[in-house]
Amino acid sequence: MPFLAYIDPGSGSMLLQVLLAGALAIPFFFRRVIGDAWSKVRGNRNDTTRSDGGEDATTDR
Amino acid sequence: MVDPASFRDPSGFVFRRDGVLYRQVQESGARDWSSFLATGLYDRLVADRLIVEHQEEPIERAALPGAVAVLRPRLIEVVSYPYEWSFSQLKEAALLTLELQSRALDAGMRLKDASSYNIQLDAGRPILIDSLSFELAAPTEPWPAYRQFCEHFLAPLALIAHRDPRCGLMLREFIDGIPLELATRLLPGRTRLNLGLSAHLHLHAGAQRRAANDPPPEPGGAKKERRISETGQRALLDSLRRTVEGLRWKPSSHWSAYASTTSYSEAATASKAEIVRAMLADVGGHSAWDVGANTGVYSTLAADAGYRVVAWDQDAASVEAHWLRVRGDGNPSILPLILDLANPSPAIGWALEERASFLERGHPDVLLALALVHHLAIGNNVPLPGVARLFARMAPRAIVEFVPKEDPMTRRLLAARRDIFEHYTIEGFREAFGGPFRILRESPVADSPRTLFLLERR
Repeated sequence: MPFLAYIDPGSGSMLLQVLLAGALAIPFFFRRVIGDAWSKVRGNRNDTTRSDGGEDATTDR
Repeated sequence: MVDPASFRDPSGFVFRRDGVLYRQVQESGARDWSSFLATGLYDRLVADRLIVEHQEEPIERAALPGAVAVLRPRLIEVVSYPYEWSFSQLKEAALLTLELQSRALDAGMRLKDASSYNIQLDAGRPILIDSLSFELAAPTEPWPAYRQFCEHFLAPLALIAHRDPRCGLMLREFIDGIPLELATRLLPGRTRLNLGLSAHLHLHAGAQRRAANDPPPEPGGAKKERRISETGQRALLDSLRRTVEGLRWKPSSHWSAYASTTSYSEAATASKAEIVRAMLADVGGHSAWDVGANTGVYSTLAADAGYRVVAWDQDAASVEAHWLRVRGDGNPSILPLILDLANPSPAIGWALEERASFLERGHPDVLLALALVHHLAIGNNVPLPGVARLFARMAPRAIVEFVPKEDPMTRRLLAARRDIFEHYTIEGFREAFGGPFRILRESPVADSPRTLFLLERR
């Protein structure tokens, strides 16, 4: 059973939303997958940099 | 007494008892309310200052039968409405609304409405004031507030960004948000090239137009069930967020440059600031309304003196510049808002009781009216006794600047018109303001023909 709203969502607005959500989902999904992968790669790289930096700092001391 | 603006949502309402504001949760909203608390959504929103916090009160405080909870929300000091907000204030409120919907989805709920009136500006940032805005929903249900979000937020923001900042004032006429077919007719054609605006405004208006011609459903027939994927739901929100974030408006107007183009000498500016500071100290109050505040030079001075200030100005660019500065400085004690004192926000909505007029929304300890009276008296032909009476309705004390006819700013107002203002003199000012007020102090501004008055209501 659908959850009905107390405000009028507008039947045209609901139909458009369904169409847009379908169309937008694909690029959104890929952006998220790519974004996640990219941040993982960057995260790993940052981790490496950070540990290098740590060693440098130790050497300096 | 039930608040006259609180009738749209059957799951609860706001009422006052002995001057205290309460919110009553009704049986029909019980399941959503308990889920809102049980999922931890309420606690998370309070922790991040995204919703106004409340205290649970004994159920006996209920105003009407059918209560499952009675809440006492923290009060917002000055209630303001979207037609008084500058572009960035409305944009921040829009982004908060999307953030709330996103957080609701995380908790297996949804924001059931996206009314801009559910957001208030509190201590320098937007906050949700309607604790009953969340309901349980399957993630595959389309967002019922999508249309409302576009009408309350996206349409006015797009009109301000792409047409004119004064389009924000249309919200005063359209309490349910700007009709999308009107917005699309007013927006420039190039906005169709913007993917977000094209989808959420232009296509949206077309979809509404087509649906209006659909035959009505059969009596007793099932309501149309539409579904979207959860990813689609998130994608739609993401698209709305990017569209709102992509809207920009750079304020520039005669008034926002006013403070830097005035005719005062340095000595006059320093003298005026010194007098205002001393008068504010004499008043010793906590709240001040600065009318005709421009970009807030004297609002800042009042805030520095410990006042909480509402800085009203008719010019959207000045208010925008002021808000951005206040935000940048992290100064939560100043709230800049748009208002033309010659035609202030009226009461609007059902029975004229849904949104209060400007004069009904608070009474500060002191009113600041600096370099304003000549605009009202000469720019708008309001007789000085009328100006004095309005000021006396607003606050028990007032700091008012009289700018005489020999001042270059007043000369400019009179440049192209007949001088019909024979009573516009300092004697006329004393007589007019001496009616509703006692004149406590009169201080001439050094190196200037201007005079500042400290007034106390009789």
